[in-house]
Amino acid sequence: MNTKATSAPEADVQDFANMSAALTGFLSSVLKPKLDPVGLARTYYEFALAQVGASQISALLNAFRAIQTQPPQTIADTLLETSSPTPSGQALLAQSIVAMWYLGAWYIPGVKGGGGFPPTPLQIISSEAYTNGLVWSAMQSHPMGFSPFTFGYWSQAPGPLSSFGVDTGNGGGQ
Amino acid sequence: MSASTPHYDVIIIGAGVSGNTIAWQLGLAGKKVLILEAGVAVPDSREEYMENFYLALAKTPEAPYPGIAGRTSVKGQITQPNPGNLPTPRATVLGIGGSPDTSYLVQAQPNGKTNPPTDKNGNVRGLQFSSTYERIGGGTSWHWLGTSLRELENDIQMKTKYGVFHDWPVTYTEMQELWAKAEQTIGVAASTVQQEPLEVVGLKYPPGYQYPMGPIPMSVVDQTVSTGVAGLQVPGMLDGEGDTRMYDVFVTPTPQGRNSEPYQDRRVCAGNTNCIPICPIQAKWDPTVTLGQALDTTDKDGNSNVTVSYQSVAVNIAVEGKSVTRIDYLVWSRDASGKLTSEKKSVTGKLYVLAAHAIENAKLLLMSNNRKGICNSSDQVGRNLMDHVLYLSWALVNPTDDPIWGYRGPLATSGIESLRDGEFRKYRSSFRMEIGNEGWNFSSSDPYNTTMDYIQGTNNALLNPDGQRLGGLALVQKLNSLFTRQFRIGVMFDQAPLAENRVTLDPTYTDGLGLPRPHIDYGLDPYTMEGFRVAADVCSKIYKRMGVTEFTTTGVGGTGDFTYKGKNYHYYGAGHVMGTHRMGNDPATSVVDASQRSHDVPNLWIVGSGSFPTVATANPTLTLMGLAFKSARSILAALRS
Repeated sequence: MNTKATSAPEADVQDFANMSAALTGFLSSVLKPKLDPVGLARTYYEFALAQVGASQISALLNAFRAIQTQPPQTIADTLLETSSPTPSGQALLAQSIVAMWYLGAWYIPGVKGGGGFPPTPLQIISSEAYTNGLVWSAMQSHPMGFSPFTFGYWSQAPGPLSSFGVDTGNGGGQ
Repeated sequence: MSASTPHYDVIIIGAGVSGNTIAWQLGLAGKKVLILEAGVAVPDSREEYMENFYLALAKTPEAPYPGIAGRTSVKGQITQPNPGNLPTPRATVLGIGGSPDTSYLVQAQPNGKTNPPTDKNGNVRGLQFSSTYERIGGGTSWHWLGTSLRELENDIQMKTKYGVFHDWPVTYTEMQELWAKAEQTIGVAASTVQQEPLEVVGLKYPPGYQYPMGPIPMSVVDQTVSTGVAGLQVPGMLDGEGDTRMYDVFVTPTPQGRNSEPYQDRRVCAGNTNCIPICPIQAKWDPTVTLGQALDTTDKDGNSNVTVSYQSVAVNIAVEGKSVTRIDYLVWSRDASGKLTSEKKSVTGKLYVLAAHAIENAKLLLMSNNRKGICNSSDQVGRNLMDHVLYLSWALVNPTDDPIWGYRGPLATSGIESLRDGEFRKYRSSFRMEIGNEGWNFSSSDPYNTTMDYIQGTNNALLNPDGQRLGGLALVQKLNSLFTRQFRIGVMFDQAPLAENRVTLDPTYTDGLGLPRPHIDYGLDPYTMEGFRVAADVCSKIYKRMGVTEFTTTGVGGTGDFTYKGKNYHYYGAGHVMGTHRMGNDPATSVVDASQRSHDVPNLWIVGSGSFPTVATANPTLTLMGLAFKSARSILAALRS
């Protein structure tokens, strides 16, 4: 597959978004909305492709396609090999994809932090990547430096986790 | 270039809080002012700085501002420019503790293995001065927090009241009037009724005083801590020595320079949780607001009374006899290929103001007169370098209790101010405690650290002791349960003024303009360190009282690590740089007088927190702006005479 010169097929991007939804615990419609002015799913797919090459991405996507009818948590645990003490290179790539969605940055697969610090990412993928990081939704808040809320919201508890785009439907969430 | 230099009433070096405030006041009085600003111009829109922030790999205080790369990493190291190649390098968080290839300040580096030894007098020397600053239009207070506390009455009379250090050469009554002016200028949100409990530490307002706008609501974090510490009392000193009185621990909302209502055409705070490094919507006052007011002052022909010359680095304050006669400065630029060039110019005024930051002020005073120095008959220029050295502690609310909901609201909205004054100040440093609304962002680089821990199975933030790797909803729920329960308390100390904590000119290292860089000698004394010891104990008592789990850790051999009475501590810089040209009534022991006017060279004012004789217990911006108003009055009086 020619990855650099042409943009990726939409079907692959959709599969990437569906896989990412299972890996991250968020709704696919949040990661890749029908009306999508930002287009992060495509940005991330093409970024990962450029970083690791088509064969690794294709292998991961094919592994997802083979189990995509299973419950999301099962898909996540399978692709991330969460019960294996030594995750494969493919699982490390899946980790980087989770990190990309959560933190908007590219973490080189398998490179860990240390000494009390997280690994240093290669780069923040874009300002939209930062402001759409899922970690902020996972904590029922907003990116530091990008608040959609209004004066005084901080004096009360936030809305429920389900209102932040988390897929609580299938996995028995709160 | 024209050979004629325009003649101004007043030349001001530095477009930060003090310089802009003075320029504004002089402009209002019809005086012609030139500001020489070393750094780049204030951008038309802060979007450029926001983009820098979003793309910065480390969201440090300097992240949004020009002159730092930091968008890419090589082998896990964030790329940083060499300060030796920059026209206006400055101390940065990423550079602290590094070699002079990354650290603008030339100072001791940690050895990575052990903490520095304690000398026979109980001092620890060879530490890193850890506060940073900016050299751009608007100055460092682009990234001030917004905390606008007043000092306490005893803060400014430590010698009289407790027999230690120095009194300030100003009265509390005068300061109250100056603080009120600063509060109006900044637009401080607070309620004197809410501050009334602090009468126990001597906080007083004139009768009937009202802040310009109502208070910022307390965060859920504040409310939880406030409820949790109810009834807690702590002794002034440990070990039953000195001051063993019991002091009440209670939480009060912090007066803040953030809008609770529209003010000066600026918006209401939306709780971006980003006051440091940058407020995206300028709901927090910053010095560019006052610079705008200064530029808006005009003469009868409609010309602005205030002019700013950017990228203009003062290199010499020429003095003849007891007068400044001109300022020499370099106007720098980069050509299309990025090559740095500069052109030397001079300018004269009737009076002069040095407002370049505590470290840069000292550097320029020492550089002037062919590096023999000026305004320094007291030998105090550059000495008594101080900071609100900061102790950080952090804790996690237990899973069985309600979340505390951090990472929401302005970075800090309340504090514990009730321990800022007492007899213990005879023996150890006093402190205020700031409650953070940003989870473990400061302490543990969260949410990055814990998120990567649970993705990769590491335990860098100490919340993943079993090395779990999670994905899907399990990851969401785990991170949710942790991030919504994190909080921290930062403690800022009234660090002792020490003659040996000092800025000098480094004999070796220069910046990109060939100018000497600041050399720093720095350490902590027992008076300051005993404060750390007490504060660590108070934090632990607070967490115990609240029924939460403390996670505070310390390292050894790193930047800011020290050992006191057998226990390891870590300090951070607060960005509050003070003391390098202290004020006083006696020219033998101080550099400037109560109006921040040089004792030695009376047509020069040297302004900013460098004039503070002691650190005191309030964050310094409000007070240094108040003192700038006082300086402006004395400058106007001098122009009249």
